[in-house]
Amino acid sequence: MALLDIKNLTLEISGSTGWMKALDKVNLRIEEGEIRALVGESGSGKSLIVRAIVGAIPDNWRITADRLTWRGRDLLTISRSERRKIMRSEIAVIFQNPVSSLDPSATLGEQLMESIPRQIVADTWFWQRRKKRLQIAIKLLHKVGIKDHQKYLHAYPHQIADDIAQKFLIACALVSSPQLLIADDPTRGMEITTKIQVLKLLSQLNKTRNLSILFVSHDLLAISSMANKMTVLYCGQTVEDGKMVQLRKRPLHPYTKALLDSAPSFRKDLPPKSPLTTLDGTIPTLQHLPIGCRLGPRCPRAQKECVKVPELRHVQDHFYSCHFPLIREKE
Amino acid sequence: MTTLLRVEDLEFKQKPKRGFFKKQSKFTLSKVSFELNAGETLAILGENGSGKSLLGKLLVGAEVPSGGHIYLNGQKLSPYNLKQRCLNIRMVFQHSNESLNPGINVAKILGNPLILNTKLNASERQKKIEDTLKLVGLLPDHMFFYRHMLSDGQRQRLALAKALILDPQVIVADEPFAALDPSVRSQTINLIMKLQKDLGLGFIFISHNLGIIRHISDRVLIMQDGNLVETGKTDVIFNWPKSEYTEKLIKSHQSLITPR
Ligand SMILES: Nc1ncnc2c1ncn2[C@@H]1O[C@H](COP(=O)(O)OP(=O)(O)OP(=O)(O)O)[C@@H](O)[C@H]1O
Ligand code: SF4
Ligand SMILES: [Mg+2]
Repeated sequence: MALLDIKNLTLEISGSTGWMKALDKVNLRIEEGEIRALVGESGSGKSLIVRAIVGAIPDNWRITADRLTWRGRDLLTISRSERRKIMRSEIAVIFQNPVSSLDPSATLGEQLMESIPRQIVADTWFWQRRKKRLQIAIKLLHKVGIKDHQKYLHAYPHQIADDIAQKFLIACALVSSPQLLIADDPTRGMEITTKIQVLKLLSQLNKTRNLSILFVSHDLLAISSMANKMTVLYCGQTVEDGKMVQLRKRPLHPYTKALLDSAPSFRKDLPPKSPLTTLDGTIPTLQHLPIGCRLGPRCPRAQKECVKVPELRHVQDHFYSCHFPLIREKE
Repeated sequence: MTTLLRVEDLEFKQKPKRGFFKKQSKFTLSKVSFELNAGETLAILGENGSGKSLLGKLLVGAEVPSGGHIYLNGQKLSPYNLKQRCLNIRMVFQHSNESLNPGINVAKILGNPLILNTKLNASERQKKIEDTLKLVGLLPDHMFFYRHMLSDGQRQRLALAKALILDPQVIVADEPFAALDPSVRSQTINLIMKLQKDLGLGFIFISHNLGIIRHISDRVLIMQDGNLVETGKTDVIFNWPKSEYTEKLIKSHQSLITPR
């Protein structure tokens, strides 16, 4: 059984022009112990999927799905308190913008110690609890590679560098030993050496704790270095889904191909300074969504049929939705 | 090939400012020298806080160096003749949003530097704005747009247009691609490479993205803690890095691209 299973998730936001489908029949599955990447351009709806999983959906949004389950439990129908319990102990989330998701008025030490659940220190005498919490906090910081705990436990969020903030948030997320870690854009803007540290840390947690990870990003290099599976999102629609190696070797959807081509590092044959292949135009806004396949206006392979939303099809465990995938035509 | 820009022993010592964050108050940039030919690209690489952005600001004259010289086409630039510098070396800032005033439309954003720095009349200015918009792949219609009506990619193009409108010889850009989506990023890179071919523009950019650096730059300059670590031809630096630091950066990058 999958840990997280999302089938045909649709999320509508009401705007001045009526209901806008910000997510349109999105599919996403996370198995135990795997690292899944969720890839897509800015505004494609990655963070909205995260919000739908977490349940941070305002009342005036409409959310429907054939399936939205966590270890078999239906997240759309369970009670709020049940859901909060899951979010507290089974799924941990690191939101985009690490520094702004910290409380600016408390030191890192206070925030981390506070997030340690009462059960963990319950078997200690209450006068020893603070000390116990401190020990746990220090251990967690070491685990995520923050060695100088003295310095950082007493620091305020605005005094620390972005990569420390990111590692610190990972430490907070680990407090409750979750089964799934959702990291929304954890390496944005990082320089290469710190990025590698954070990626290594995540891979290591995946291996040693069997922690499943949903890695949300458009940093293809980071993704392909660590993820096992990848889901590609374009403009609120899942366009392709499969094993990382397979997608990299043989993308079936024109958008995935364009995305992979945009990273010069992946293309060994590319002469220096030659033009990069890319799609024209930019991702449309929710107010101006094209009908049918949303890549239509930018797609080099688009034809008449593309005004209809393509069905989800698959070759073994490689899923795609495109009328004219990049499969060599049958002879 | 002609040397477009020559930088000799450029250095910077910050005078301590009151109320400023402690760590940065004594920042010094020790002597930096390099050369750039017309149509060439130089990439500046280094950690956050290593002095990359400061170097960029020294080049465009947004900060005054404490020593050293900058020569443009063999002619020495005086730190006080800002006007000449402004016309020839232009900066595209890290967050294009900040340099684009949300309250005025595109025609004004592009028109103001022309009013300030040239003697063009209204219709000549109009023509120049249209030409520049086309140059960066925008439309004359975009003149009546405000910032919020443009997509990220279009904003980046507009920021570039704003830098290009005075026909500079060199453009300095601070992380111009970091905030862009993959497809828009490739579009922007292609655009810059085309402008270099067509206009002989010198391009200096600061970036963390070694993949892009390797693809588009002719030379690389690596900084650490305000010091120049090494500089040279891209190909040479990537294949035979001299310093340990550079080697570490390149190895890190390689480790990401080689499939496990
Ligand atoms: N609170 C909101 N109200 C209205 N529209 C919203 C809201 N939040 C997000 N959207 C819209 O939903 C779409 C998807 O946004 P989302 O934040 O999920 O993008 P993303 O894929 O996470 O992008 P990024 O890579 O920039 O983080 C966008 O078009 C965005 O404008
Ligand atoms: S369905 Fe049509 S428009 Fe969409 S990606 Fe496939 S070919 Fe392109
Ligand atoms: Mg997001």
